[in-house]
Amino acid sequence: MGSVYLLTLRQLAGRWRLSIMAVLALMPVVITMMMLRSDNAASVVDFEQTVLGAMLAGAIAPLAVLAIAAAAFGNEVEDRTLANLTLSPIPRWKIVLPKFLAAITVASPLVAVSALLTAHIAFLGEWPATIAITVSMAVGVAMYASLFVWLGLVSAQAIGIGLLYIVLWEGFFTGYVSGVRLLSIRYHAIALMHGLDPRRFPTEQHVSLAAASGFAVVVIGGFLLLTMRKLRKMDVP
Amino acid sequence: MFKNGLRIALGLGRGGKAKVLPFAFITVLAVIGLIMALIAGAVNRYVGEVIADQLNLPSHSDYNGIASIIMFVFAAVVGPELLCRDRRDRVINLYLVRPLTGSDYIACRWASFLTVMTAAAWLPQLILFIGLSMSAPVPAEYLKLHWLDVPRFLGAGFAMAAYATTLALLTASFTSRRAYASVFLVGLFLISTPFTVGLASQIGGAAGQWISMFNLTNIPVHVNDVIFGEVSEITKAAPAAELAASVRVGWWFAWTIIPATILWARYRRLTP
Amino acid sequence: MTTDPKAVIHVDRVSRWFGSVVAVSDVSFDIGPGITGLLGPNGAGKTTLLRMMTGLAATSSGTVTVFGQPVRDNPPLYRRMGVMSEHETVYGFMKGREFVTMMGRLRGVSDLNTAVDRAIDLVDMADAQHRDLDTYSRGMRQRMRLAATLVHDPEILVLDEPLNGADPRQRVHFTQLLQTLAAEGRTIVLSSHILEEVEQVADTMLLVVNGKLAASGGYRAIRAALNQRPYHVRVVSDAPRRLAAALVGLASVDAVHVDPDGALLVLSRNVLDLQIELPKLAQADSIRLHRVEPLDDSLESVFGYLVEN
Repeated sequence: MGSVYLLTLRQLAGRWRLSIMAVLALMPVVITMMMLRSDNAASVVDFEQTVLGAMLAGAIAPLAVLAIAAAAFGNEVEDRTLANLTLSPIPRWKIVLPKFLAAITVASPLVAVSALLTAHIAFLGEWPATIAITVSMAVGVAMYASLFVWLGLVSAQAIGIGLLYIVLWEGFFTGYVSGVRLLSIRYHAIALMHGLDPRRFPTEQHVSLAAASGFAVVVIGGFLLLTMRKLRKMDVP
Repeated sequence: MFKNGLRIALGLGRGGKAKVLPFAFITVLAVIGLIMALIAGAVNRYVGEVIADQLNLPSHSDYNGIASIIMFVFAAVVGPELLCRDRRDRVINLYLVRPLTGSDYIACRWASFLTVMTAAAWLPQLILFIGLSMSAPVPAEYLKLHWLDVPRFLGAGFAMAAYATTLALLTASFTSRRAYASVFLVGLFLISTPFTVGLASQIGGAAGQWISMFNLTNIPVHVNDVIFGEVSEITKAAPAAELAASVRVGWWFAWTIIPATILWARYRRLTP
Repeated sequence: MTTDPKAVIHVDRVSRWFGSVVAVSDVSFDIGPGITGLLGPNGAGKTTLLRMMTGLAATSSGTVTVFGQPVRDNPPLYRRMGVMSEHETVYGFMKGREFVTMMGRLRGVSDLNTAVDRAIDLVDMADAQHRDLDTYSRGMRQRMRLAATLVHDPEILVLDEPLNGADPRQRVHFTQLLQTLAAEGRTIVLSSHILEEVEQVADTMLLVVNGKLAASGGYRAIRAALNQRPYHVRVVSDAPRRLAAALVGLASVDAVHVDPDGALLVLSRNVLDLQIELPKLAQADSIRLHRVEPLDDSLESVFGYLVEN
């Protein structure tokens, strides 16, 4: 497992790619600083909706994770190097799990640090809120990673489908159709944040912490199982 | 080369899966136009023309603002197919050993993708125009009053297509992996909006207006506003909308010509 | 189909189709220890067959077993198999030795450094092992891939176009290596277009044409079994027309053509009889024979005939 994990880290942690993701991840920090300096200071609700919900959980996290996680298997399929791994006498989960963990290892520090700094600046060092935001974004990264790792294996058009998912599903439909939110990773990541610090983030309009955690487990576990199944059944290029 | 570019962009000559994304995008764009036409038709029918006019329903001008992000995602996803694969598979030399230069190669790729993007921009507007005409109490009267909308939406659509095409291909020219080009471009579009909006409102004044001009999603929409002579919903709140028409159009020009020049410069010296 | 008890790889009525295209059609054979050459023109179905034999692709019908176990979805079997595909499937950012080491680790090799050294020495790449794979020539990448295939000392080797990019010296070295490995009791399946090398090295051939198994066995046995095709023998003499007239009378001769250069092309379904009768005829008529040359006593001619027909 260690070999697959280290191999994937080397494949995903390209210097240019990480630099660009880092620039994207800095945006919420900069915007938060600007909001604080503004004479018309934003409310917690405004801040949550624009910076945390729309920008961090709805755009930066999924985009960064898409670029990284979809490549975990996507690059191997495109380069036809996947057979190097599948022709090994190891169970398929020992290929899938390290790929997933490597994607999280590369993506989550960017998002988590962005979330941590954003929260720390916005809430003036208030640790419960900071931890709630950081942990919920990290869990969001894990959920997105499980989805996009699977997508990278099943489709050569993973990036296009992923972008459509981010822009249309997470960005558009969840804003207008309330039922769709129950199937939204972004919504549940935000719900986790509310559940972890209900004092700062009231929970009336969100599902409970238990429900959001359960959703995260189902999404991560479900897509990992789907990925393992696909790897067993597919014709390896 | 031009035909080959069209085929690549639309997934023609390959399996069904290659066609899914480009045609899905075109379908989504067309459906938006269709929905707008249906809404306009329904409102005209049930509340009458007078009240419908007062309601200020979405029009050709607003369509471009609404569809702009989908157009950019389309360009970001499909555009890199034309360049990244050739870089990755190292087949550019196969073109260059023929009587083709690097300039020919990139010009053909740009022209073919521009054709696809322009068609994607125009088709929904045509559907909307036909829908609005048909739903008017007297279609011929509508056509007589609104025939100028046709060259307007054709011009605005072309502006959007040229801008998106050039930026998408320029980004793709820097990498052999389509994925990275696509995500970078979409990230740039998605993030530039809140960033510039926040900074512009913070700073205000003329500086704020110019900062607002760096909202990459809005650049072709400002051209759309100038062509239609009205500010769309998307750009209404943008300080840049207050700048002179010549400045906004010139800005679009700069953001299309300069990237096109860089793109050409990257390819023109290629030799086999 | 009953299984040959010595069979290591058993392919039973295997077919594979992609939509309406049948790539492999109802193919059955057994492969045992030694070297088996898998031959066929482009698009014959060789690679599809190899991929099904190694579990990389599913069969549409039929079964493939290795050591009596299904090969598909059976990862532990890969401890005993080494597979080298036709594509250059390496990680360019790795050094050669790193790549072989990683493959060894994935395949559970115990004394890894020794195994890696041995594998790299076998392919004569010790000097270049610390360079990036991206800097290798095609032939060097191929050799390093072979090292990665051998590092875990597999009992079965499946090699798809292993000679791609190899220069003549490397081909000779590779051929000798294969023969050494086969002599140790391994089962080696080798797919190639280079008929001369396969002819020299393989004990058994499997000829695949249009997705079907056209012939199997040693190539001479295949040739002999092609009853409907007469042998072509070129005879150069000092009196071609007199010899031709005499040859036409032989029961073992189907036809005689006289080339513009005066050589005779004799078509015969019974070359053994012809071998005996020809010198007698020449002696009886005082005809000097300069050259007697079988034109299709080669794998290439058998292959060409089977492909055409």
